[in-house]
Amino acid sequence: MTARSDGLLRRIVRHRADYLYVAPALGVMLLVIGYPIYDTVYLSFFNTPPNLALEDKIFAGLDNYGRILSADSFHEATWNTLVWTVFSTFFAFVLGFGAALALNREFRGRGLLRGILLIPYVISAVAASYVWRWLYHSDFGVIGAISVALGFTDTPINFLDNTTVVMPALIVVNVWKEFPFAMIMMLAGLQTVPDHLLRAARVDGAGTWESFVHITLPHLKGVTLVTVLLLLVTNLNSFTIPYIMTGGGPAGASEIWITHIYQLAFGRIRFGLASAYSVILFIVMMGLGYFYVRALTQGDERRGG
Amino acid sequence: MKEHGFWRLGGKLYLAALVVFTMLPMVWMVITSLKTQFAALQYPPEWIPRNPTLDQYWLLLSPANAVGREFLRYLFNSVWVSAASTVLGVAVAVPAAYAFSRFRFPGRNLLFYSVLLRNMFPAVVFLMPLFIMMRWLGLVNTQASLILTYLTFGLPLSIWLLKGFYDNIPVQLEQAARIDGASRFQAFLLIVMPLSAPGITATAIYSFIMAWNEYVYALTFLNDKDRLTLPVGLQRFFTEYATNWPGLMAASFIMSVPVVALFLVLQKYFVRALTDGAVKS
Amino acid sequence: MAQVRLGNIVKHYGDSIAVDDVSLTVEDGEFVALVGPSGCGKTTTLNLVAGLLELTGGTIHIGDRQVNELDPKDRDIAMVFQNYALYPNKTVYANLAFPLQMRKTAKADIDRKVRAAAASLDITHLLQRRPRELSGGQQQRVALGRALVRDPKVFLMDEPLSNLDAKLRVQMRAELKRFHQDLKATIIYVTHDQLEAVTMADRMAVMNHGVLQQYDTPEVVFNAPLNLFVAGFVGSPAMNLFPAEVADGGASLLGPEGWRLTLSERNAARARRATGGVILGARHSMIGLHGEPATDRIPGRVYTVEPTGDITFVHVRIAAANVIASVGPDIRLRADDAVWLSFDQNKLHLFDVASGQALRD
Repeated sequence: MTARSDGLLRRIVRHRADYLYVAPALGVMLLVIGYPIYDTVYLSFFNTPPNLALEDKIFAGLDNYGRILSADSFHEATWNTLVWTVFSTFFAFVLGFGAALALNREFRGRGLLRGILLIPYVISAVAASYVWRWLYHSDFGVIGAISVALGFTDTPINFLDNTTVVMPALIVVNVWKEFPFAMIMMLAGLQTVPDHLLRAARVDGAGTWESFVHITLPHLKGVTLVTVLLLLVTNLNSFTIPYIMTGGGPAGASEIWITHIYQLAFGRIRFGLASAYSVILFIVMMGLGYFYVRALTQGDERRGG
Repeated sequence: MKEHGFWRLGGKLYLAALVVFTMLPMVWMVITSLKTQFAALQYPPEWIPRNPTLDQYWLLLSPANAVGREFLRYLFNSVWVSAASTVLGVAVAVPAAYAFSRFRFPGRNLLFYSVLLRNMFPAVVFLMPLFIMMRWLGLVNTQASLILTYLTFGLPLSIWLLKGFYDNIPVQLEQAARIDGASRFQAFLLIVMPLSAPGITATAIYSFIMAWNEYVYALTFLNDKDRLTLPVGLQRFFTEYATNWPGLMAASFIMSVPVVALFLVLQKYFVRALTDGAVKS
Repeated sequence: MAQVRLGNIVKHYGDSIAVDDVSLTVEDGEFVALVGPSGCGKTTTLNLVAGLLELTGGTIHIGDRQVNELDPKDRDIAMVFQNYALYPNKTVYANLAFPLQMRKTAKADIDRKVRAAAASLDITHLLQRRPRELSGGQQQRVALGRALVRDPKVFLMDEPLSNLDAKLRVQMRAELKRFHQDLKATIIYVTHDQLEAVTMADRMAVMNHGVLQQYDTPEVVFNAPLNLFVAGFVGSPAMNLFPAEVADGGASLLGPEGWRLTLSERNAARARRATGGVILGARHSMIGLHGEPATDRIPGRVYTVEPTGDITFVHVRIAAANVIASVGPDIRLRADDAVWLSFDQNKLHLFDVASGQALRD
């Protein structure tokens, strides 16, 4: 009797009923996910006509990739994407983690406070973008008015029409929208830190800071990894906030990959080029995705049945 | 003890600052929505509206005028598209999530990881091919195209959330049912389904909110004024009535109310759904 | 009720072997305990009988029927789970009725049988409650009720007492045993607690690493363990085991600590069968403690004394080895007292070091 006594085929046949449960989902996913991915890769090797008569597309090999990688706009957008992603992720995480720490203690009104802090996360990005546009308004914006009232500037700042300020201004909005996510993830993580360890540390003479560093932080490694990865992914994929607030402007100062792809595809109707761009993004995401799946599925394999 | 107090005070101050940061935009949205257009465009701003008015809300929500009819139309479209894609997504996701949680069929891991990986792909990657597909299917500018495409994010998400819920239902319950005379499917239907009702509700609401807030697909696939959903409708509104900030803020407010309300009511489920996978290990 | 026959059953999970060629027969009306440390394959074996897992190889018969390919629902078995697996959204009544409903029993019959089962387990007053409103002991009874309500061929029990507190466990143990005697039920009972197996079962099957080690009455398993594993697993405190060399052509044993023990005729014959060294096994009750030396007494030093009331356990150090002996409560010993150990030759166990098997006559 060998350990692997039955072949793959036999196992598939034996489990055939199991596939019925996943078949509908797989069918839909093949249609709306599998096929589009294939098509994106396929189109990335073609020049497509601007009227989208796809039967007239011309095979272009790797031309699209070459053009993207050598274009100045790509380099600028890549730089902006990096700035956008790194700073958004960093501040959202730090703000959210801080909030989680402050909330990780029983006190009156804790639930309410958590609820309030979570609201930005559920509000529509479109609505949020318009609200912040209004806050940032060059003449009547409340932030400008507050800055003047507090004596920071003499005249209201024109946040969104200024190539140096626009990126930080957008990142603030993004962080506002996103820090609650980091907060609940880290709060959930904090609640799994075993109480008895913290008590033991206190008995051993550790202060708040020491037990945080030696007990809490090491325990949060897994959650932190997943949270940061998800934030990175979300930020790399951001579209709505920059698109609605500035449309990538002024002068491309807030153009990031996704808005740029959208502009190429639906502004200039160059699907081939935009597809190649998507594939590049796709490859970057796959790298992050690998770590994401690894982080998420630890311990999943032990359950059996 | 003294040290403890120091950290607590710091925590309180930090939370207070964060609440101000979080609330400021929302408070200003509400304040602005209560002003007249003239009052909104003042410098320095009127911090508290001198003549608060609900005019903008009446305008938006009254079917008696063109603006109201248009806005209500968007609202209705959003409800319909979000609800339809949610129902469809959950119906397809429930058996799949159950299978991923319980069965060990060949290819399970590969399939499940590909479901997970979908969360990594930006909508834009799917936008062009789906647009081409919808053109080919003749669905461009229909809400069916949105309902279908919302499954690209709704389905993997629902499968992932639901699998988490099923993982928490002890497998012994189904084993007991099968020994008590139920088939595998009966055990699922009679024992597991009733127990997973809260999970299904939470998942449905989550996916409803995602669909409600979705913007890129709606922006790209729809251009017929009558068929727009709220996010795109809002944008249209903005281009049409560019200086009516109170109106825009009122519209944003109305659009946010249902999701925020749903969210706050079901906060507990939500937080669990969001964090379940990440803290398990 | 029916006989259950396992013929060379095998279960693999991928590359690991959970159950390795186990054969045993549970007679009609017999109470058999599957016992072993966690991961020994006992629960897997039970799940194979239940049909919750699929066999990799071998056959399972319940009564005259080979059930290898049958669904759990068609095997006519009942099972009690460790965590009871009561349906949380159903009342106790609905929990008890569920197996009957699944078998399309008439409504009036269901009601009669549910009430009868509830009465026999003294849970009639709980019928309208939900599982979460019950104590552990009550949940345990409901789980039992759900199993007996439809008169199955075999009862399978997976550690049904391990979630109860110690006092309740003793009480439920007695009730379960009585339940078996009254119903003449065939029961396969999985436990990691050898005491449960010894006290309740007609026969016990000791398993380790997926292999059946010994299958016999508790008395035989206790008095004549077939190998070192069984010797160490069954009995509390565990049997004292210490290695020794066979000397004088089998006439005596030589310990690594320098002691020498002359063997009786019978034990000498056993010792001669050893392929190398032997392991000497003695239960605490078979070891005598003495205040002065004599031939065939092994010198040691009291390490600590544990009075339990009616019996006092004495831990004795022989060089680095620890031996547990027992004395009456009126004998006073103190730590670091010098003592000499003697053995009851008739109750001495000898094992072959190389194979771990008991050396027989």
